[in-house]
Amino acid sequence: MKRRRFIAGAMCAGLLAANVGAGVLAQEATPAASGAAVEATTGQDVKMMLLPKFLGILPFDQANQGAQEAAAELGNPTAFDFVGPTAENSVAGQIEFMTNAPTAGYDVVMLSNNSGDQIVPSAVGAQEAGTKVVTWDSPIPNGEGESVFVAQVDFTETGKVMADMALSILGEDGGQFAILSASPDAANQNAWIAAMEDALEDPAYANLELLETVYGDDQSEKSYEQAQALISKHPDMELIMAPTSVGIVSAAQALQAEGLCDEIKVSGLGVPAEMLEYTQNGCAPEFALWSFVDLGYLTYYVSYMLATGDLQGVEGETFMAGRLGEYTITQDPTRPDVEALRVLMGPFTVYNIDNVEEAAG
Amino acid sequence: MSDTILRRVRPEQFRELILVVVTLGLLAFFATQIPGYFDPRSVNRLTVGLAIPLVVAVGQVLVVLTRNIDLSVSSIVGMVAYVVGTLLTRSEALSAPLAVLLSILLGAALGAVNGLIVAYGRVPAVIATLGTLALYRVVLVEFSGARTVTTADLPDWLNDVPSATLLAVGGYDLRLVVGVALLTVILGQFALRSLPFGRRLYAIGSNPAAARTAGLPVERDVFTAFALSGALSGLAGFLFLVRFGNITVTAAQGLELQVVAAVVVGGVNIFGGSGSMIGALMGVLLIEILQQSLLRWAGISEFARDAILGLLILLAVTADAVILGRLREAWVRVRRRDQERAQAATAGVGGATHGA
Repeated sequence: MKRRRFIAGAMCAGLLAANVGAGVLAQEATPAASGAAVEATTGQDVKMMLLPKFLGILPFDQANQGAQEAAAELGNPTAFDFVGPTAENSVAGQIEFMTNAPTAGYDVVMLSNNSGDQIVPSAVGAQEAGTKVVTWDSPIPNGEGESVFVAQVDFTETGKVMADMALSILGEDGGQFAILSASPDAANQNAWIAAMEDALEDPAYANLELLETVYGDDQSEKSYEQAQALISKHPDMELIMAPTSVGIVSAAQALQAEGLCDEIKVSGLGVPAEMLEYTQNGCAPEFALWSFVDLGYLTYYVSYMLATGDLQGVEGETFMAGRLGEYTITQDPTRPDVEALRVLMGPFTVYNIDNVEEAAG
Repeated sequence: MSDTILRRVRPEQFRELILVVVTLGLLAFFATQIPGYFDPRSVNRLTVGLAIPLVVAVGQVLVVLTRNIDLSVSSIVGMVAYVVGTLLTRSEALSAPLAVLLSILLGAALGAVNGLIVAYGRVPAVIATLGTLALYRVVLVEFSGARTVTTADLPDWLNDVPSATLLAVGGYDLRLVVGVALLTVILGQFALRSLPFGRRLYAIGSNPAAARTAGLPVERDVFTAFALSGALSGLAGFLFLVRFGNITVTAAQGLELQVVAAVVVGGVNIFGGSGSMIGALMGVLLIEILQQSLLRWAGISEFARDAILGLLILLAVTADAVILGRLREAWVRVRRRDQERAQAATAGVGGATHGA
């Protein structure tokens, strides 16, 4: 992985040297071209906004913690603002924050996009007014108005991880399962579901039958009712796959309340602290996640370095992100049809009865 | 429509009958579409789902009768569920009755703020409660620090409440939470029919100016209605906590619209002065059946569901208005004819006497 990253970096640096007019970026391009990772210039004054999909759930709070940690390390004299809309106003609220960001003097907005491509006009406007837009967790699908996307994991891999968990829970004989997602606008969930559907094409998963995908809008009660409805609709369903931290606990709670955990299991993406009980009582034997603290940390590094000019935000740049080490900006292979750049964090952690308690802390 | 029926029954009483017919029709329709629609498990799910909106709707009726509206109920439910949930995770000492009492008091306090602003501050209820709807939610977001209340941290007795059953017949349960909700409906209906406070709510909603002139304590009663609506929302918040266990700051968001829709469908006049708890019960039942059945109906896409729900609510209200309008006209006509006949009879008798 490291090796491939380096080769890609070197190749892209070559392209970069050919494309970029003489002089303009020469100074910054040099370290990348020589293969050395760019180090951040500490102590710069950068006004930053951390904009999650909405406020009030644990993953985004953990990202905030990680970003705080990075901010302290980099010695940015201006504290960043952790702001966001409420869940039901997520789409319009995010667009509003983005639209007002340049006027409010932000140098960079760190966005977990919940607005699909609807955010594009305001993001492009922000870029034109000199405000960088770094997405994390969930990208802008068509890549417009986005400087770079900090991906928690490879989205194609997410699909495979979910398919693997389904197979491991249902066994070789497979069975029927349904997906309980967040909102229909969520770019990351949609990408993961698409990746999972692709993965299911593989003969190895031939016995897994996806019944349907429903949406709980990341609201506990709506997800709970959707889970109940899935149970009624599909008497032979054996698994609910929920790639959202709210949906997965709600589904587990619905199954537990009706005493159905023996017949139907829950899996997907969840926070260990919230999932502990359901993993221990067998409702959710396996689920996965990455570190949201690290994601916030890495996102802050990328955003800070873009705003200070340490990074240009072009393909092939390699940089050091504090305790996480070296990363490279590449084309985003999970969005092959559009021009989009990505920094890939990884890896996945799959949780089960053996490691969930330790992770829950 | 037979005249004799119109002489005995007021048009408003037909409304509840129409709702019953529509509800039965829907049940019959969905039973043909959804396999196992009446099996005990599905029915229990439906009745348990009723409890929370029902308790909130009882409070909403009190407020709407006075020609006001309380949009902040969902934020009160969410706030109470979250705060009481957090307290329960932190302190083992908090007993069940104390937790319920605390929920009701916290809700009443939040409702009293609405009451103060509307009754004494003379701010229109839509504006005032729209404000507190947002305000309470933001306070909750700040208070929560983004943590989720999880079932694992809650005391064991709380996790047993949802399945606690008062009465079970052949697998069909009357759950404790549903019993509590029905009790609030009965108490509410009693208050409206038999208590002076309840009668005054109708008078205030029918004509606030006249009520004031007549010396009714309009401000105090409106304030009390809002405080009661808050208290009931607080109780609903506790029910929310026991049902869902995992409480995020978005808890109960959107519930206010479901409840207002149910109350209106149930025939409580949005301009105040008329309606009943039984009507609200029917409204909640109708909307809950629609919502849950549409979720379960395999023939329908995720996206068409909201549209269908909206359309059916519109249909229900329009049909209700049209039919009721006709009935009211017929009722007035019959009454007038009867009066004329009575007058003619009296005049006839009088004339005969005079002639003799």
